[in-house]
Amino acid sequence: MLNINKSTDGSKLTVALEGRLDTNTSPDLEASLQESLDGVTELVLDLEKLDYISSAGLRVLLAAHKMMSKQGSMKVVHVNTTVMEIFEITGFLDILTVE
Amino acid sequence: MPEKNIREMSEQERKRYSLASRIFQSTIIGSIILGITALLIGLGMFSYSLVNQYISEGFSLSENAASILNRTVDIKPLSEAVMQEYRALRAQDEHTEYDPERFSSFAEREDYQTICSVLSEYLNFDQVEFVYLAMYDEDRSAMVYIADPDESEEHMMPGEWESVSEKGMKRFLNWDGTGRLYEIDRTEKYGWLCTTGVPFRGEDGAIRAFVLTDVSLVNVVNGMKSLFWQYTAGLIIIMNLFAYLLTRQMKRTVIQPIDAISQAAQDYVKDRREGNDVDDHFSSLNIKTGDEIENLSSVMSDMERDLAEHEEDLTRVTAEKERINTELTLANRIQTDMLPNIYPAFPEYSEFDIYAYSKPAREVGGDFYDYFLIDQDHLCMVMADVSDKGIPAALFMMASKIILSNNAMMNIRPSEILKNTNDLICSNNREEMFVTVWLGILEISTGKVTAANAGHEYPAVMHENGRFELIQDKHGFIIGGISGLEYQDYEIMLEPGSKLFLYTDGIPEAADAASELYGTDRMLDALNSEPGADVRKLIENIQDSVSGFAGNTEQSDDITMLCLEYKGKEQMRDQAEPHQK
Repeated sequence: MLNINKSTDGSKLTVALEGRLDTNTSPDLEASLQESLDGVTELVLDLEKLDYISSAGLRVLLAAHKMMSKQGSMKVVHVNTTVMEIFEITGFLDILTVE
Repeated sequence: MPEKNIREMSEQERKRYSLASRIFQSTIIGSIILGITALLIGLGMFSYSLVNQYISEGFSLSENAASILNRTVDIKPLSEAVMQEYRALRAQDEHTEYDPERFSSFAEREDYQTICSVLSEYLNFDQVEFVYLAMYDEDRSAMVYIADPDESEEHMMPGEWESVSEKGMKRFLNWDGTGRLYEIDRTEKYGWLCTTGVPFRGEDGAIRAFVLTDVSLVNVVNGMKSLFWQYTAGLIIIMNLFAYLLTRQMKRTVIQPIDAISQAAQDYVKDRREGNDVDDHFSSLNIKTGDEIENLSSVMSDMERDLAEHEEDLTRVTAEKERINTELTLANRIQTDMLPNIYPAFPEYSEFDIYAYSKPAREVGGDFYDYFLIDQDHLCMVMADVSDKGIPAALFMMASKIILSNNAMMNIRPSEILKNTNDLICSNNREEMFVTVWLGILEISTGKVTAANAGHEYPAVMHENGRFELIQDKHGFIIGGISGLEYQDYEIMLEPGSKLFLYTDGIPEAADAASELYGTDRMLDALNSEPGADVRKLIENIQDSVSGFAGNTEQSDDITMLCLEYKGKEQMRDQAEPHQK
């Protein structure tokens, strides 16, 4: 189960994720990001309520990161311990802008 | 209703409970009820009008006779004389009988003759039995005859009397002149009789006598009887004819079409069971009743067509699925065979023992392990996990495995192997797939492991006689994400008796029914429950522990693990032995 809450402020898009980002839910996020990233220069992913992220979820984050590095910037905020641990292990911590 | 199911009935029982026989029965019962009601109403109306007509005729006869008598003769002397004599006779003794001698003189009188001749005229009218002059004896409830023109055996002499019902005669005595006076009675001699009458009154207003006309109702009764029999006979004939025709009509328009549909359904089932390819069981029926039955037939025909189409689709889809399943099974075998899985893996080496296990969540998976000798003294070990699962992951895994092993065989450092692999994969990775890799090279002679980690789980190490612990090694980024990244090497020194345990996230992230994760703590506990066990047993312990934790929850991710035990050279083991004890 994954809830995706999007809010736009000009060219800034904030996406708050709630639940689990895994094989079953990551296609939803991928589709959701694909349709709303046009013209966005600042993407903020709020992971405060994200319980779990699997490798499939990481793949979506990486794709978003690559996309945003061409058209602006992306940062990840409010990362909780569980997700932070995964970011550390996978090396995402060094690649993503985490606040 | 019959208690048996229609399928259990014999042919005879089916006939008894068939629609046709029910329609026949219902029609008969309905006709009987309707017929009897109509009969009762008919008989009532018939008898009422006929009786009414007789009363009216009888009464007007009486009136007519009375008015003629009034004009032609004075009845007073005769009636008074007869009544006087009668009373005298009855006064003697209540039970005295009529004495013809005493009254014979009255018949000789002239006024008696006149009265009789006037009244006799009316005897000729149809259904009139008797017309006579009589007086009612209130005290004894008797009708006393004064003059009776009848010449048959039933002739009554003046003064002769008959007992009558008091109640009926009351109306005659108290008549106010309106309506018609009549009394219907059943007599033993004449059957049903209707007596109508008109009173004669003297100057004082007292009744002197009545002119009474008896009309026989025998015709009415006979008429009713014959009407009843004719009607009943007619009813039975018409009823049966009607029921027969109705049943025949229903058979043609309802029962035969239903039987045809039912037969078609039976044939349909039979042909399907026997595999006969007939697809017009219902459409060939050609039922044109224009009602619900035609509708039923066309609905059945549509259903047959839809079922046939559906079945065709289903067969196609099933065949397709089967084909994919076969391919997946084959793919699974190819994938399994790609991973080294013959044990003991290196029987010629006593310095180490290695065992690995992999179980994809679906038919094929993205996890893989690998181990192979680079040269006589170097064993390369790989533990990797491709993002996502299933066929895409499996394809990506195959490519990754080959690229990694090709690079490893070039005898370069693990960090370089990862870097080369990453750059190659990144150069052509539009789908943004990635793989986490832990790659280590064991120097067999010394026990030194040089490793690099590209975003993979921390390895667990057990040093000699110790406990398994995670090594927070230096992490690089996953492979396939960003090209040009550098990876770092680090070393782990394995003394004889040390063990190295590698795994994918399928183990710590195995979930139970409450979505709680297994975690690395449980994994370390399971390893440390029996740290001295051989590599195979250690892996089995983890398997048991994970499946015990997950219970019936479906395995959501691929599970892969590898365990290496470093034993060292024999002389090293000999040196270590006293230490172990």
